[in-house]
Amino acid sequence: MSNFLSAYSIQTWLESCPQGYLMDTEYGHAPGEEEPDAFLDNDVLREDAIRTTTQLVLGERCALAASSGLINCAPDYASKHFLATQTLDEARHVEIFTQRLYDLGIKDDDLESTLQQYGNPNLVKFAEVLLEKVDKGDFVAGVVGQNIVLEGMAFSVFEMLQAISQTSNTKLAHILSGTIADERRHVGFGENRIGALITQYPNRKPEIEQMQKDMTYHMLATFADSFSDRAETLEESRRILGSGESDGGAAVWHGADLSVAEPEEMEKVLADTVLKEFKVRLGRIGLEYQSPPKPKAA
Amino acid sequence: MATVNDPLQKESTDEQAGQEKPHQRYVLEETGFNEVPKKYRKFYRRFGGEGDSLAPNEVQCPVCMVIVRSSRNLRQGDRVYCMPCFSRLVVVMVNDRLEAHPVY
Repeated sequence: MSNFLSAYSIQTWLESCPQGYLMDTEYGHAPGEEEPDAFLDNDVLREDAIRTTTQLVLGERCALAASSGLINCAPDYASKHFLATQTLDEARHVEIFTQRLYDLGIKDDDLESTLQQYGNPNLVKFAEVLLEKVDKGDFVAGVVGQNIVLEGMAFSVFEMLQAISQTSNTKLAHILSGTIADERRHVGFGENRIGALITQYPNRKPEIEQMQKDMTYHMLATFADSFSDRAETLEESRRILGSGESDGGAAVWHGADLSVAEPEEMEKVLADTVLKEFKVRLGRIGLEYQSPPKPKAA
Repeated sequence: MATVNDPLQKESTDEQAGQEKPHQRYVLEETGFNEVPKKYRKFYRRFGGEGDSLAPNEVQCPVCMVIVRSSRNLRQGDRVYCMPCFSRLVVVMVNDRLEAHPVY
């Protein structure tokens, strides 16, 4: 056990992250990389990029609040150290996605009103379920909610966005590459730490599974909202960016060609991928995935 | 034994592996993987998606999906470590393929 926990060191994080894949980056991308003109000049694309990035900022603000809040209730110093590094990771994510909003033309004074305007109410509820556990100092439920449910969702969302951006927006693809690397550590901590702890607290399982069910409901509702009424935006996006025909595999993600997929197909592949991951990860640590009722788009 | 820093941390016995063939050695080169400290980077690579076939010295971490590489071929019962996500793994044979399962 001591070897397992000793891996969570600040030194390892320094050598892996700031001295590794983030070396020589600015806000997560190579210096000089900019948003493609199409995202700045076309109102439909720009608003769509702002809407998507808003959800990323709100999700990362939740992760920042949760990871920092869990430090004080962690039962050992190795976990506190890891959560301290995760807190900085999440703060960086908030910063780089907020910077993307600025790059898309949002003024500093308009940031909060923009987040309010475009933020998905279901994503806010998703965050509230998690932060309620964190506020109570519930380490086991908090880590499951944060590092398995929230980070598991983020892992798949980032991978999908990266597949879409690979050819149309290399700046965003590079930003996402760094966040995906961060997520590997976060989901790893969730599984390994809770996998070891949950056997000590089997009586907590029903309550934690209920939290997972509630968070999953709000996550699926967020996906349903995000992909509803998207056909025209997607069509305009593909017209401007010159896609709309299969790109030969560059944007194939979990079997779906995202360069030609309809919004319903994109929502389905994202939801199916995240839920499959939840079931597998929760099963490995001894928790049973709970299916929520099917949400409807707002 | 495997080389220093190798993710193969504990080799299985011939009995556990179900074979008596000696281990084959592999020379590892950098793969561009930069998510761990420098001296460990050649032991990992990113998964290339469907169609990416694994060599006998490789196994995929089920937690973070990175490919873990050893300087020796892997066998059932070997214990390996995935540094990108801090997972301790045991190599198992499933449907004639080597898989890694986390150990908590």
